[in-house]
Amino acid sequence: MYGWIWRHLPGNVWVRTLISIVLIVGVVFLLFQYVFPWAEPLLPFNDVTVDGAAPAGHAAATALKGNVA
Amino acid sequence: MSDGKRESTAETVDPGETAEAVTEDSPARDSAAGGPAPEDSARKDSPPEDSAPEDPSSPEDASSHKAAEKEVEKGTQEAAGEAGRSKPVRRGRLAAVIGVVGELLITAGLVLALFVVYSLWWTNVLADRQAAKQGDRVREHWAAGRGPGDLDTRDGIGFLHVPAMSGDDILVKKGTDPKELNQGIAGYYTEPVKSGLPQDQSGNFSLAAHRDGHGAKFHNIDKIDKGDAIVFETKNTWFVYKVFKILPQTSKYNVDVIDPVPKGSGKKERGRYITLTTCTPVYTSKYRYIVWGELVRTQDVDEDRTPPAELR
Repeated sequence: MYGWIWRHLPGNVWVRTLISIVLIVGVVFLLFQYVFPWAEPLLPFNDVTVDGAAPAGHAAATALKGNVA
Repeated sequence: MSDGKRESTAETVDPGETAEAVTEDSPARDSAAGGPAPEDSARKDSPPEDSAPEDPSSPEDASSHKAAEKEVEKGTQEAAGEAGRSKPVRRGRLAAVIGVVGELLITAGLVLALFVVYSLWWTNVLADRQAAKQGDRVREHWAAGRGPGDLDTRDGIGFLHVPAMSGDDILVKKGTDPKELNQGIAGYYTEPVKSGLPQDQSGNFSLAAHRDGHGAKFHNIDKIDKGDAIVFETKNTWFVYKVFKILPQTSKYNVDVIDPVPKGSGKKERGRYITLTTCTPVYTSKYRYIVWGELVRTQDVDEDRTPPAELR
């Protein structure tokens, strides 16, 4: 896969290295800017409140309160 | 063409390497064209024969392919550059698929590592930057005498100081949605139980903040002991609370901990309480960590905003 990309980049070794670095930086930027912020709420690492459910489920949480009490 | 193919297939020692046989075309063509080819192909065929006894049981093994290739390369180096060029194609299709799968797995590992970097470092950078900007704005408002009296809910209502937990002052804003908390602040609950405010005659001022990432303002909540001070700073007043109870682990469904008279705190009567909530254990959101405090006194803010004794 990476070999294929490398072979299809234009230019000599230095140009290819430069393009590769630009591509890598671009991918990391996309991940940090869009993909990770999107994925984070879906993962169970950063849920700090006692509302009993994901932010989408406040109604359920309020209902649950009665059950727990 | 087909002649060459059949010939080379017959010559190839490993029976499973039909894919390799295809690549034998070019040397075969060479032999048809004459030149040094007969000698070349003879030399070329001998290494696989040599290597065959080493691993006759695993014809599909990529490493044995590679070893064979290397020997082939060594043997033909002087004679045929062309054979060297067609070398990558000689790897079987299976080996190619395994190679791509391996690269994808490595990529997945790198992406996961980057996600850890993102959650534990980058979100802190962003949130601290945002919180500092908002905090400065709140202090500017206070200095300029703007804002509705003691309260300015737009940018934040004040700052939380917990010397036992962190040296920072933590900006407090309304709401505990991720959108708010991700700004590196502590939020006071609006639901499922509406928080009281410090200046209320009675109520529970209930706060949430991140344990990790996004500023990680409550990261060291486990450093708070019974009797430690929690100070909330507003425009005109210092509210000094004292921790009276800690609940190191509870379910996230236990919303009663932020009731006006928090259940589990041991208090039975209404009073002026403060509740800090965050997730525990660190780096996960399995349970909630609760710290309860009770107002012991208030102190007016003087001209220099001299902090109360508890913060000095």
